[in-house]
Amino acid sequence: MTNEMLRAPAEVKYAEELDWLESVDDGPKPFSWRLSPRMVRLFILGSERADGLDREISQKWFGDRSFVERAIVTLASDRGLLLIGDPGTGKSWLAELLAAAISRNSTLVVQGTAGTTEDHIKYSWNISMVIGKGQSRESMIPSPIMTAMEQGVIGRFEELTRSTSDVQDALISILSEKYISIPELDNDNTVFAKPGFSIIATANSRDRGVNDLSSALKRRFNFVRIPVVTNKRSEAEIVRFRTVELLRRHQIELDVPPTLLDILLQSFADLRVAAASAKSDDEKLESALSTAEQIGVLEDAILHSQFFGDRTLRAETLANSLVGSLVRRSPEDLAIMNKYLHGVVEPRSKSDGGEWPEFLEGGRQAIATLS
Amino acid sequence: MSTDVAGTPTQKGPPTDTVADLFGPLRQQLLDAATEFADGPNALAEIMTGMVDDVDRALREELEIFPVCHHSPASGLAMVRRLREKQPKVIYLELCEDLRPLLDELRNCRLPVALQAYAANLDGFPPQWGPLSVVAPITEASAEYQAISYALDTPGVELVLVDRSADHVFQWLPREPESKSDAADGDPDSPSEDAPKEDPANEEAALHGDAVGIEIGDLRPRFAELEEHLLHHGKVRHWSEWWDQYVEQPLAGADYDTYRQAMVLIGSLFRRLSPEDAARLARDEDRERYMWTRMREHLGISGVDPSECLYVCGAFHAASRVAEFGLSGSTDYEVSARSGTEWLYGLIPSSHSAIERQFGLAGGSVSIAGATWTKALTRSGLTPYQLEGQKGSRKRSKRTKALPAAPAAAPVADRLTGFLSKPPMLDGIDEEELLGWCVDIVRLARRNGYLSSTADAIAVFETSILLAGMRNRARPTPYDFQDAAVTCIEKDKVPGRRDVRRLCEILMGGDKIGQVGYEALPPLARDVYDRLAPLGLDLEKRTLQRALLDLTANPELVPCSDLLWVLRYLLPEGAFRPIMGARRLGERSTQESWDLAVGQNQRTIIELGYEGITVEQVLEQRLRRKVWAPNATASMALAAVEDSLLYLRNPRFTDELGDRAVELLAAERTVDDAPEVLRRIRRLLAHYRATQPQLPGWCEAFVKAGYAHYCTLLPMAFVDEHIGVRQVGAMLGFLFTLESLALALGCDHAQLELAVQQSHPEAPAKVALLWVARSQLGLLTLADLRARCDEMLGNPLVVPAFPQYLSGFVQALESVPTLAPFVVETMSKAFARLPDRVLLPWLPTLITTLRSQAGELVPVLVREAGRTFPGTLSAVDAWAPPWTGRAVPAKPAAAVAVAAGPVAELLVGHPATCDAVAELLGCDGEWRPVGGVPAGDEYREVSGLLAEHPATAEAVAGLLDPAVAG
Repeated sequence: MTNEMLRAPAEVKYAEELDWLESVDDGPKPFSWRLSPRMVRLFILGSERADGLDREISQKWFGDRSFVERAIVTLASDRGLLLIGDPGTGKSWLAELLAAAISRNSTLVVQGTAGTTEDHIKYSWNISMVIGKGQSRESMIPSPIMTAMEQGVIGRFEELTRSTSDVQDALISILSEKYISIPELDNDNTVFAKPGFSIIATANSRDRGVNDLSSALKRRFNFVRIPVVTNKRSEAEIVRFRTVELLRRHQIELDVPPTLLDILLQSFADLRVAAASAKSDDEKLESALSTAEQIGVLEDAILHSQFFGDRTLRAETLANSLVGSLVRRSPEDLAIMNKYLHGVVEPRSKSDGGEWPEFLEGGRQAIATLS
Repeated sequence: MSTDVAGTPTQKGPPTDTVADLFGPLRQQLLDAATEFADGPNALAEIMTGMVDDVDRALREELEIFPVCHHSPASGLAMVRRLREKQPKVIYLELCEDLRPLLDELRNCRLPVALQAYAANLDGFPPQWGPLSVVAPITEASAEYQAISYALDTPGVELVLVDRSADHVFQWLPREPESKSDAADGDPDSPSEDAPKEDPANEEAALHGDAVGIEIGDLRPRFAELEEHLLHHGKVRHWSEWWDQYVEQPLAGADYDTYRQAMVLIGSLFRRLSPEDAARLARDEDRERYMWTRMREHLGISGVDPSECLYVCGAFHAASRVAEFGLSGSTDYEVSARSGTEWLYGLIPSSHSAIERQFGLAGGSVSIAGATWTKALTRSGLTPYQLEGQKGSRKRSKRTKALPAAPAAAPVADRLTGFLSKPPMLDGIDEEELLGWCVDIVRLARRNGYLSSTADAIAVFETSILLAGMRNRARPTPYDFQDAAVTCIEKDKVPGRRDVRRLCEILMGGDKIGQVGYEALPPLARDVYDRLAPLGLDLEKRTLQRALLDLTANPELVPCSDLLWVLRYLLPEGAFRPIMGARRLGERSTQESWDLAVGQNQRTIIELGYEGITVEQVLEQRLRRKVWAPNATASMALAAVEDSLLYLRNPRFTDELGDRAVELLAAERTVDDAPEVLRRIRRLLAHYRATQPQLPGWCEAFVKAGYAHYCTLLPMAFVDEHIGVRQVGAMLGFLFTLESLALALGCDHAQLELAVQQSHPEAPAKVALLWVARSQLGLLTLADLRARCDEMLGNPLVVPAFPQYLSGFVQALESVPTLAPFVVETMSKAFARLPDRVLLPWLPTLITTLRSQAGELVPVLVREAGRTFPGTLSAVDAWAPPWTGRAVPAKPAAAVAVAAGPVAELLVGHPATCDAVAELLGCDGEWRPVGGVPAGDEYREVSGLLAEHPATAEAVAGLLDPAVAG
């Protein structure tokens, strides 16, 4: 089944692992959870020898253990979980993994946008059926959140802060009363949440101030802030993990040389330092320089070398992708990248050698093309 | 513990055969485990059995060894129990032996405080290490404090510190320059990774200054990988949490044997897994040799029965394998002599955060340990020992009678096997306590701007229990609680100054800051407190306090004011800050207002006490040291004189400093400080003239010496390109402005004249200075000077250098203030006549130079300019610079007759052309008489040439007038 999907949701992708974990799980499970909290943690953070399992469970999310623990515990409590952090820090991926592990369904998702209405959160009507049969439970289209309530599973709300405040506030009653009433119906007009229902929302900390959460809603969510990964080692792990996945998805057989991975990580680290010391927005790249962006750059480079190159990843291609992905505004971003190439990469290619000179050359060409 | 033992990296090997004994079964069990798990040779088996051997050896030792760990409530509890039971007569403590006298003063302090050994005058150490400082913080919730309190307050009990002295701490350090930083015994890699990067209470955390910290019972993995491994498998975030979960809690209620065996085992584990080449291990072994030697010495002299003694040391040292270990160990060790460094001792305030920072512990861990200790006491019903009259703590109920001495020591049983094989006996959940925390954190959060409510308290409670369950704990630890509180209360932004994590730390007891009691202060600090008493402030408070001194209404506050000024001079910036009022020569304020941070700066005041008995003495010493330092200069000595006049009423001392200034000046070979010297001596002379009937002897000597000195160096200074114009200007300033005094004192004016005549500068600015000097000496008139300037302005080759001349003139104002009109004139001319390409680049330079070097000269210039230039715009049109009048050259007395000759005759004969041209050009010239001088006299060469070759002239004449030619 996975083969037929471009991107299988976590519960499909790791179905076999989840089945096995469920079979060996003897811990207490809250509500209708499919796994006990400890097994959820194990599923997300991977197993170790000390866990004494017969098979190895791979690590799927990279970050501080306590974030995962706090997230799981929140879902077992009365409150919703709000994952907040910079773009590309793995919030949605963590949310998906949590939903998959807890309720084997991570697809009950509402995507918050400026156009999201209350109907998207509660329910809407199939107009033709309403015309034909009148308003009834049959002619009602439940939202993913309502479905999650009915099934007692986890519902997800992506980018909560992108939707307007009045729409957000529809969640307040769902989170506190745990039911949705349908005033249009005369009977059977309340949908009660089954045990096990909870909401995982994600919010982008860069959007703060656009549609601020009301304090009533804030109170009903526990916030878990996911920081940008700055530890080079874990970042390398994340990039490697995701790249392997990508390659598998595209059925590409291509090696990512560790030296190139180092170059990528190093250049992002350099650019982050530069962004941190910039005094105005014009002096820093528009990109958040997150781990996800690194993966994007690498993916771009891999695809490029696969289809237009000689099927080996080269520093030059990587530089090309780096410049191409990070330069969004001209001339500001271009100037920054140019400065970076000449101020940092050039001296380094002289002193360190390796793949750096080629990387520098590629970067120069890319900039020349763009400007 | 089982996790930890099983989790160590494993290697396979055949079990080593050891003497079958008490721990035989355990040893065998571990060997079996080693065989099962490992797949390499020997090492694991060796470590495993070695650990058991270490425990066995420590327990068999005749002198009872009490292993402790720092900030461990379990250690403290076990200590209380053991002391009550055993009632030892002598306690040997792992602490620098020379700190012993300080311990008696502990009762006068509010803990935590740190024992400090301090040395400023080094002998035998690299001078760049100085000043040396060692601190050993003592908290109330520690085993060592229990031992100290018991020993000091129980009659007939002796407390003996056996560790190497503070001097040895430094003696044993490697002599690389950067080694001092990693010297902290308690902490090899301080500040460690998990230490808070940005300490919110930075002030408190910096309480220990840059001292080397020592701690009793340092117990922590010696290399990062092991610690990481333990943390990872223990599923905890930092070392303090690991320790709490895997050692502290299981041991809290354990009996003494279990406690002892488990502690030695951990000590042994870390010891056996420490990096082999570490110099630190060698140092530790030296310390163990030292301690055992000292204990044997003491036992030998006092003749106490070893069974009545207790040796309190870190668990690491209890598992020692040095030959000197034990009363029957080798006696070869020679204690090395101390260096000649003179050590001073005192108590300084400490704080939990300072301890955490110094020893690389996680933020809040010491406070949490303190809270655990208090709780454990209540639960166990034990009464801890406390020094009689200990400040700042609750009065304990009357000391309970000591438990009856234990019956003859029962043979040691193996408790380790049980401890390691059973899961730890965890405390049941303490619902009351957790509820209390939850309610309190919500209240605290509200007070700090969070919108938290009872619902949050419930959520925190629930989340704490869930988190603890997830982390294999029945009872939520403070760390779980902290995580839960952050999860439930912290939202997207922190509303106030403190976030929830910090609030939890505060809730758990917060940062406790110690204070050294008055009685335990050194004499200087006590004197300071006494003398500041009239201000009526509570000097013990740690807040900033405002003192208002009305010195006219309350003249009795004048001594306070004096003291405050001295303290301000001696203490670091900001400790004593005058808000209103100043103290300068000739200036006394009638009202002063001060911001005092005495409480926060207790340490620095105490450290001043190492330098002397009173602040005045310390100030004297510092000033004296300053002027006698090898790099002292005359200007520094003059500054010291000024400070002495301001802060000390000691004319003899001031004169001594002045004499030194004269010596320094005479010995100086450079004139770099000349501007500073000139400024200071002028000020001092003005002060003395205003306040005293006659100048002090040193002042006269200084002027005389200065006159001779600068005269001698002047010619050299003029040519040396490394000496700036400003310096030369200042030299001239000294020579000219103080000349009258110098001459009155017997100096010779000729010396100055000679010096000026010998000077031949090349740099334009210095040339200008020299011109001014010469004009001041009457060797050059002002008119000449002016003419030279005009000439330069007229000469295109010199014009680019003209600004530099002008700089020289400006600098010369210092020495010759009367030159101001001339400088204004020259500057105006320069502005008027210099071409833009010269003027514009020079202007910024002029402004910056004036600002930085001649700030005090600018007003003079501006005033003079104001006098010279018209005040209103309308007057400008009619204004003519005063110097233009003077600049018109005098008319020649009589018109010089023009030589007669054909040309002159021609022109005179036909004047119309010339007149017409003149009229066109606007000149109303007149014809000069012809024939005054015989032709050819004036221009002999020309006329000679014309006479010899007349053809050209005649041809021209012919062209002009054919009649003449004809």
